[in-house]
Amino acid sequence: MPENQHEDPFEDRFAAALRDTGHSFRTDDPAALVGRGEVRGRRKQLLRRTAVLGGMTGVALVGVGATLLLTPDVHDPRRTSAAAGPAATTSPSAASPSPAEPFTGDDILRSLKELLPQGTYKEEQAQGTDSLMPPYAHVVFDDGRGAAALGLSFGRVEPGSEQARQRATCPDKALVKYDDCTTAKLPDGSRLALFQGYEYADQRADTKRWYAELLTPEGHHVLLTEWNAPAEKGAPVSRPQPPLSVEQLKEVVTADVWPRVVDSMPSRGDRSATGEAPSPGTRDKTIGDTLAGLLPRELNIVGEGGQESEYAYLVVDDGKGGSLVQINVQPGMSDMAGVLFEDAEELADGRLVTTRQSPGEEGAEGVVMWTVDTLRPDGLRVVISAFNTPAQHQDATRDTPALTMEQLREIALSTVWDAGA
Amino acid sequence: MGQQRSADYAEFASARAGHLYRSACLLTAGDTHLAEDLVQETFGRLYVRWGRVSRAENPAAYAQTVLTRTFLAHRRLRSSRERATDTFPDLPGAADGDAPLRLTLMAALARLPAKDRAVVVLRYWEDRSVEQTADVLNVSSAAVRTRCVRALGRLRELLGEDLHEFSRP
Repeated sequence: MPENQHEDPFEDRFAAALRDTGHSFRTDDPAALVGRGEVRGRRKQLLRRTAVLGGMTGVALVGVGATLLLTPDVHDPRRTSAAAGPAATTSPSAASPSPAEPFTGDDILRSLKELLPQGTYKEEQAQGTDSLMPPYAHVVFDDGRGAAALGLSFGRVEPGSEQARQRATCPDKALVKYDDCTTAKLPDGSRLALFQGYEYADQRADTKRWYAELLTPEGHHVLLTEWNAPAEKGAPVSRPQPPLSVEQLKEVVTADVWPRVVDSMPSRGDRSATGEAPSPGTRDKTIGDTLAGLLPRELNIVGEGGQESEYAYLVVDDGKGGSLVQINVQPGMSDMAGVLFEDAEELADGRLVTTRQSPGEEGAEGVVMWTVDTLRPDGLRVVISAFNTPAQHQDATRDTPALTMEQLREIALSTVWDAGA
Repeated sequence: MGQQRSADYAEFASARAGHLYRSACLLTAGDTHLAEDLVQETFGRLYVRWGRVSRAENPAAYAQTVLTRTFLAHRRLRSSRERATDTFPDLPGAADGDAPLRLTLMAALARLPAKDRAVVVLRYWEDRSVEQTADVLNVSSAAVRTRCVRALGRLRELLGEDLHEFSRP
C-alpha cells in the first residue's frame, strides 16, 4: 500500500482486489516471452547499426540492411487487435434517452438461449443493464458437435457519428484477413454486417471468429460473436466451424429483444472507451486528404482508410508495389515528451524529432516499419510510419517502404499540420 | 552481447517474466495478448540496453518502467491493425474463485485513461511512491496525485464503495 493512503477504506479494498487479480494472471510459457523478447532485441540492435550505416552512406544501405535483417530467424506470431476492454462507446444522445426497465444478466442469458438452437451451456457470464458496466453475455455453447464460445455485447452509438459510420461495416481487406464479409441494409434501415474470419490475423491458430453486427438507425449496437473453440484465445479448436451459420447469426442478432436491452442501458455522459476527451472537432479536410497532399507526386494512392480526426492511412505505390503509410496527428501530447522523445533531436524552434526503423507490428515476414515521430512545442504530435507492404499482416512485397526517412520527416514536420489540417 | 552478459540477461528476464506479464495484464485491463506483446517489446528494449540496465540500482524497477512507458507509447497511437469493436477483456480463469470480481475490476480498469491506469498499477500493484510514479511517467508529483484521486473516484463510481460485494459470486 502506498504511503499516506490508509485513510480511505475503498483504497485499501481496491489495492487488495488489484493484487488478487494481478496474481491470477499466469503466462503459459514465460520462456517464450523471454525468447521472443531477445529476438526483438537482436533485431533492434541490428536495425540500429543499419540505421547508423545508412545515415553515413546514404539511404540505399538502409534498404540493403533491411533486406538482410529480415531474413526471419524466428517466426514471431503476433496478436491481431489492440482493442481492449468492454463495449467501446456510448453517447447520452444516442438511442433512447429514457431508460426502460433494466434487464438483468439472467434476462439477457435467457433471451439468448431462447434464440439459440438446442444445446448445452457452460461458463455462463452476463452483465445486465442494472449496472454502470456495459451489458453483455458470454457462454460456452455446445450443440453436440463441440463446445464453442459465444459472446453478445451491446452499446449505443450516436447516429450519424464517425463511430456509426464504422460500425457494422466490413473491415478493410488490406488490414484484416477473412473468408467472407457482407453488409446489408435491413427493411427498418438497420445495417447488418456478417463476418467470417479468424481470431488471429496471422492465423497462428485455426481459431475462427464469426460475427453478426447490427446497427439500428437509432444507434442500437449489437454484436454477436462466435468461435470454433471454447475460448476466444488460448484454447484449441473444438470443431471445424463455429456452431451458428451466418443465417443463424443474423436471426439471433436481429431479434426484437436486443434494442430494448440497449434502451434500458443507463445513459452516461462520460462513458468512452478511454475516458479521455474526444479529439478536436471535425475538420473540413481529413487527415488522409492532408497526407495525400504532402506526398511526393510520383506516388499513386491505391488505397485509403481509417479516416478519423486523429488518424488515417493510405496505401501508395511508386511502381514497385503497394506501401502502407499511416499517420497519427495528436494534439495535447506535451506530457509525453519525456516518455517518447527522451533521446530526440531538438530543432532550433523547439520541435522534437525521433526516428525509428523496426520490424512490422504484425509479425508478417520481412516487414519493416519506418517511423518519424515529431512533437511541436504546443503539444501537437505528428507521427508517420511507412511499411514495405500494402498491409501489415501481409509479408513484405518490396525491400523498403515507398517513402524514404527524409520524405517521412518532411511530411511529419510540415507546417500544414500546425494549421489544424 | 558477450556470453556472460547474455547469460545474465537471460537469467534476469526469466526471473522477471511472470511479474512483468501480470503487470502488463493489469495495464492492458486484461488483454493478455497485448500484454504478451508488451512484455516481449520490453524485453527487446532491455536487451538492447542491457549494459545500462544491469548497472542500474534496481534492474527490476527499471524493467517495470520500460514496460509502463512501452504501454503508454502503444496506447497513445492508433494503428492500422486496430479496429474498434465491442470486445470482452480476456479474463484469467473466468470459471474459478473470484471471477466476478476480476471481471468487474478489469472492466473498470479498461474505462480509465491509459495514463490513469498506469498510475493505479504503479501505485497499488507495484507499491511505488508518488514520487517514484512521477519519475516513471515523467510528470510532476502533483500530476500523479491528481490522476490518482481522479482514477480512484472513477473506480469507486464503477465498482461501488464496498468492493466486497463483488468478491464472491
